[in-house]
Amino acid sequence: MLDAVTLSKKQRSKAVKQDKAETKYWKPWRTSWNILSLAAVIAAYVENQLVPSQELVNNGAYKWFLIAYFIYLVAVYVIGAVVHGRIRVYGGHFAQLNAVLGLLLIGQDLLTEKFAVIKLPFFVSFAQILDQIKTDQKLLIESTWSSLGLWLISFIIGTLIGVVLGLFMGRYRQFNYWSFPFLKVIGIIPAAAWMPLTMVIFPTSYMAEIFLIAFAVWFPVAFMTIGGVQSISTDYFESAKTLGFSEFQILRKVVIPGALPNIFIGIFTAMGLSFTMLVISEMIGAKVGLGWYINWAKGVGNYTQVYAAIVIMAVLFSVIFSFLNKLQEYALRWRQRSN
Amino acid sequence: MVQLSVQNVNRILHDNAGQRINVLEDINLSVGSGEFISIIGPSGCGKTTLLRLISGLDRPEEGKVTIDDQLITRPDVSRGYVFQHGSLFPWETIRENISSGLKAVHGRHYDKKLVDHYIELMGLKGFESAYPHQVSGGMAQRAALARSIVLRPELLLLDEPMGALDAFTRADVQDVIQRVWKQTKTTMILVTHDIDEAIYLGTRIVVMTPRPGRIKEIVSNPLTFPRDRTSNQFLEFRREIQDKLNFGVAEN
Repeated sequence: MLDAVTLSKKQRSKAVKQDKAETKYWKPWRTSWNILSLAAVIAAYVENQLVPSQELVNNGAYKWFLIAYFIYLVAVYVIGAVVHGRIRVYGGHFAQLNAVLGLLLIGQDLLTEKFAVIKLPFFVSFAQILDQIKTDQKLLIESTWSSLGLWLISFIIGTLIGVVLGLFMGRYRQFNYWSFPFLKVIGIIPAAAWMPLTMVIFPTSYMAEIFLIAFAVWFPVAFMTIGGVQSISTDYFESAKTLGFSEFQILRKVVIPGALPNIFIGIFTAMGLSFTMLVISEMIGAKVGLGWYINWAKGVGNYTQVYAAIVIMAVLFSVIFSFLNKLQEYALRWRQRSN
Repeated sequence: MVQLSVQNVNRILHDNAGQRINVLEDINLSVGSGEFISIIGPSGCGKTTLLRLISGLDRPEEGKVTIDDQLITRPDVSRGYVFQHGSLFPWETIRENISSGLKAVHGRHYDKKLVDHYIELMGLKGFESAYPHQVSGGMAQRAALARSIVLRPELLLLDEPMGALDAFTRADVQDVIQRVWKQTKTTMILVTHDIDEAIYLGTRIVVMTPRPGRIKEIVSNPLTFPRDRTSNQFLEFRREIQDKLNFGVAEN
């Protein structure tokens, strides 16, 4: 037997994790960059406090944001300097970005609030956006939850329809023959084009919104799933048959896992479209949600609120994106890493 | 299984121009229980095609393939098949792969001890939770072998399972196959283009010629077990088979 020397399972998975972190976060730890990033955030704080403002802004929220940011950086720095673990790898990699981010904060503060080079009401300082978020927090939290809920339910419905259709169309020729023309014609229509009709046809505007978002999702998912199923090597189907798999077992154990990489490509394509449709449909039909909030702010001419909603969307959509990324990483853990 | 019988089989395909190609022509072969048949021939002689007909993955245009007078019409768990590249499911761990057939046939309450036994026998201990891309080619092939043999097939079909392995690993997997064959007394049919391998493992050797694929000769292996790849008898028999394979030269 040609058996390699084996590490215990626990040791192995630890080593793999460390290795993974190092290839993803490849910039080496440099004390100088970490100090610089701390200095940049201190400078941003001092600049904000000392330079006199031209615009009337409540800097309270911004101040606490900078303090929190500083504490976070100090924590990462201290842990990273002492413990040679993942936090060191992570902190070392992002030190340069953090330093530049500090400088960017100084820059935008000087350009807007301090010297008013770019002016209100269309350009506002980050401090003012944070203050707006603080002022409107109750409404914004409500809107965020509402948007998240709407997105989640619509995205799940759209994805399920797309995956199921895609699996069947990829696997069964007869089904594909009859349904593919419909997929091609209907799927290519932008969801937004249905908007006027859906608002009339559906009994509630919430259902109309769900339809519109799910509609933006199902097509890319279904399309990629079909390709995924068709790209599975016939070897796997033939093995399954000689191993006594039933058709249902082939679907569950060969077709679905084999198509999964492509399904995820479809899901990520659909994700961007779904965010677009979420905001648009909320702008038109809804009485809550971030899209509605933007539309309302536009109506009253408060562009700081528009920025506030945009900042929250940036955070919310990034969180969703990284969650889906983690989900993909887990679901496709059997794949060879290619880097 | 008592008797596998391939009778007057022709496999006919048509190329893009509609020309008829006889992939296999007039194949007759009869295999008894417990035999180890090596099918050898140059690439393109239809040996894999023949194996696929026996498994039921394909069906012949003319003639019939039967086991104990039962016509083979489709793949079945009683006939294991190990593919050239193993074709372990990449999304399942080594253990999940080996148990996949058992799970499919017996449901959730399959014999987990049997799986453990074959993991041990195939030298895969410590790698049960690895994914196929994380293990060596030799291990992957041993796992593929285990996945089929764990189902206790009455006939195991091996389609050049050592084809993509280096010489050391190849000898290692050959020994594993021989051990399993002796222990389980499963009838095996091996397709290969490696003469040493055919002789080392086979009790009978089927020599095939290409275009159209025909059986040239079926030779009984005179060597006794254990076999030594460097003994004089082995080398002599090897020369005999080699001569039968050198069609062009021999006929001049």
